[in-house]
Amino acid sequence: MKSSQSTESAGFTRMAAAGIKLHPSCRARQERFGLLFYDCRGPRLLFAATGTLIPADFFGTIRRRDEFPAGVSESQKMALNKFVTQLLEKGFLHEQ
Amino acid sequence: MSNKYVEMGMRSPVNLTWEVTLACNLRCSHCLSSSGEKACNELTTAEALDLVEQLHTAGVFQVNFGGGEPFIRPDFEEILAACHSHGIMTCISTNGTLFTPELVARLSRNRLVAIQVSMDGAKRETCDAIRGAGVFDAAIAAVKLLAATKIPTSINTVLTAQNADEIPAMHEMASSLGVSLRVSRFRPSGRGADNWESLRPSPAQLLAFSDWLSSSGDVRTGDSFFSLTSQERQGLGLNLCGAAKLTCCVSPTGHMYPCAFLQTDRFEAGDLRQNSFQEIWDGSEIYESFRNLRIHSCEECQRFDQCHGGCPAVAWHLKNDINGGDPECLERCVTSIADNRLAEAA
Ligand code: SF4
Ligand code: SF4
Repeated sequence: MKSSQSTESAGFTRMAAAGIKLHPSCRARQERFGLLFYDCRGPRLLFAATGTLIPADFFGTIRRRDEFPAGVSESQKMALNKFVTQLLEKGFLHEQ
Repeated sequence: MSNKYVEMGMRSPVNLTWEVTLACNLRCSHCLSSSGEKACNELTTAEALDLVEQLHTAGVFQVNFGGGEPFIRPDFEEILAACHSHGIMTCISTNGTLFTPELVARLSRNRLVAIQVSMDGAKRETCDAIRGAGVFDAAIAAVKLLAATKIPTSINTVLTAQNADEIPAMHEMASSLGVSLRVSRFRPSGRGADNWESLRPSPAQLLAFSDWLSSSGDVRTGDSFFSLTSQERQGLGLNLCGAAKLTCCVSPTGHMYPCAFLQTDRFEAGDLRQNSFQEIWDGSEIYESFRNLRIHSCEECQRFDQCHGGCPAVAWHLKNDINGGDPECLERCVTSIADNRLAEAA
């Protein structure tokens, strides 16, 4: 759920967004190629060739925008950052 | 839609249709499963709940319940609750005639359920001619009850020759009731096959619908019209047949098929009383044949990338050829209209 403090300033709302999480209408699971995302509102699918880099349940809990599983290299982090941006833009992830 | 990944094979379906019973209090003339009487040997409650466990283990995201009328099954809410307890999303296709405020209140306690109420016309007489006397009013009453809750609700209409002109009015009706409109394709299966000639939309009606759809982005069609959709709607849904790749069907008796419109012995993939869900998904030769299905006759078509040959179920029912290409795709509608004009002019 978005911050319910709608009377607060935009700045406060930004600070209040603790992180990102899988949207309640979405699910993710591991496939051979990586993660498969499903959005029942479409329905829409998103195929992410992430291999085993991110576990399917990773976004099931609130994560910081720059938080990734341990052991991910700097170059992988850059790629994952772009990927997270795409998931946010497409509505599979949402800010909390 | 990234076909490359679909072709690698999914570990389980993304969603599936589960027809929980053949029993229905209506006798709609287009019913895909010829519903009416309960089938002999339908899955027991224990078997149904065991199937839910298997779907959870397999990682299935969503179950689309149909029938028959699902709410006729006394244990249907128990089956739903079992899905929800595992986070499985559910969508129920219902005729809406059995809804009460109490039932809607119980359903609305859960955020994982969506409901499609079937209606077949914006006018009472159009709808009731297909579904039976009094059904239009009962369905509207159900939609009103549902629209007052947070349950995502849609009116689901099967496009037929009789209601094709009323689709825009149905869209307005759905909007005025605060729900969305979903239009499904009429396919020649079950009683729909018996009444095919009288109910099938003409090529001109299909083309007019395709045009209307392209400017009605909020209308959902599931996988019904990818063989007819214009460029504008690409990306709004699937543009290929997902049977045995992304979806499948479980019958009331626990038999598995590629999709709800192919529930015949020829296409039986397995029996859940003999094998597990995962064994059938992984090992069925029928499913393997659908995963390898190539509609070669369509590959030269300029629209091939947009529809990949269309719906194999319609090709099977109309041409007895699963590889034959969709006989009612956009290209074939255009050709058929042009041929008719030429014949008339000659
Ligand atoms: S179409 Fe639906 S409501 Fe009509 S007879 Fe079939 S199952 Fe029953
Ligand atoms: S066979 Fe036709 S109805 Fe069945 S899943 Fe494929 S496109 Fe859909």
